Amino acid sequence: MKWMASRHQSFGKDTGLQARMLLTMFLLGLVYVVFVGVLLAVGAAAISVVAIALVLLLVQLFTSDKIAMATLGVKEVTPAQEPELHGIIDRLCVQADLPKPRVCVMETPMPNAFAMGRSKKSTTVCATRGVLQLLEPAELEGVMAHELTHVINRDVMVMTLASFFATLAALIAQFALFFGGGFGGGYGRNNEEEEGIVLVLLVSVLVYAISFLLLRALSRYREFAADRGSAVLTGRPSALASALLKISGTMERVPSQDLRKAEGMSAFFIIPARTKKSLMNIFADHPPLEKRLAALERLESQLQSAA
Amino acid sequence: MGLRDILTGRHDVKGPAPDRLFAISTAYITLQAEHDIVPVGTAAIVFQALATSEFEATLKDMEEVVRATGGDSATSVSSQDDSYGYRWMILRSPDGAPSVEDLAVGINAVSSSIETAGHGERLLCAVFAFVDARKTRIYFIYNYKRGFWYPFVPESDPAHPTASDEAAAQQRSTERELQIKAQMASELPMEPELERWFPLWGIPI
Repeated sequence: MKWMASRHQSFGKDTGLQARMLLTMFLLGLVYVVFVGVLLAVGAAAISVVAIALVLLLVQLFTSDKIAMATLGVKEVTPAQEPELHGIIDRLCVQADLPKPRVCVMETPMPNAFAMGRSKKSTTVCATRGVLQLLEPAELEGVMAHELTHVINRDVMVMTLASFFATLAALIAQFALFFGGGFGGGYGRNNEEEEGIVLVLLVSVLVYAISFLLLRALSRYREFAADRGSAVLTGRPSALASALLKISGTMERVPSQDLRKAEGMSAFFIIPARTKKSLMNIFADHPPLEKRLAALERLESQLQSAA
Repeated sequence: MGLRDILTGRHDVKGPAPDRLFAISTAYITLQAEHDIVPVGTAAIVFQALATSEFEATLKDMEEVVRATGGDSATSVSSQDDSYGYRWMILRSPDGAPSVEDLAVGINAVSSSIETAGHGERLLCAVFAFVDARKTRIYFIYNYKRGFWYPFVPESDPAHPTASDEAAAQQRSTERELQIKAQMASELPMEPELERWFPLWGIPI
């Protein structure tokens, strides 16, 4: 095989993962196209709902990181306050050829880390106090490289856009329920219109259900991709595996108070929880730990057998 | 990166940019003659040491190569790992005879053998140590990913940080760095984006 010739290209290549990711995105797109088609067929008034959702999407894209910072009690830290964290991120930024993101710490014993922001230029990476205390420098580096890979892959952007129509569907279902289909217009209703509203409601619910599942699948694939990216960036897949083990071990013991706080925030967002990319989370949009560890183990053996 | 890379979440670590390392071996003459900034006679190359037997073997060969190329000038080589897990390979000119050319040749020998082994993307940076008339350390850092240089002037002596004021010791003289940028911009390809002038604390040279 041709790609075997160059070692550093073959390391960490996962064509299957990319194919699954593209397939998921294709199916998502298909669902949305059908959805929009039905919307248009039913009546132009539905377009106003689309407009509202578009505005919400933009608001979310541009403010979600600030809202999260405010509600989660995330504080920006200077290099003098957190020399080690800054040192790790500085080196990773050189390595990944990224401008330096804002570095934040969240004062909670729950070990976790996440990245926020829509582009490489406006990014915030955040580690909790718990993760800083729990991990060795090499493990912390793996975790931060995972988060920076989310930035490089523009996962917040991709997931927000991908979930746009799911949001739209949820909105329409709510509208239809609250106003009894009031968005049909001010003029008198007839049977045809009533049917149309029921149809929109049904399709919306269906779209929401299907896209919800697809979104979770997409999110899991992007977690795998970020694990892979972290391993490629640091050259130490096993350090990340060790970090994941440590974090998950602690996660089970730590009381759920902070998790509830995090869950509260996900309700706050239009598209919950998935906008903030957390490394280890109880939300099912992350793949099971064993699968992630197995993937990292494969990377490590690829690396070791490259000689 | 292209749309397809964004959609599939795939990216590769960037390899080294076109090599502008040797710019230092002429720039130092200006530094010395016009700005009274003289070489200390040490330089280092920083990279991620992969924990594989193959990579360690490459490193061993590499040290041999550097010792061999430095045969006449007697450049010595040593290496150490920093607390972030990065390997520093440190080259020293013999006492009293600092030679930036020899150091640059040595650093280049190390980076090329890492690249030849297929690990070019592991290279982080090269550091050359200088000292000005007031005995302040001035480091010139070469970023392999970008192919650019930038000065780094830590305000305290990095060789002797005390544990208590480690955080307080992490002050850099941005003013001095910007002066040097203005003085040397025509000689050294300087990193144009100031937010990429990443500090390296605790430089062991």
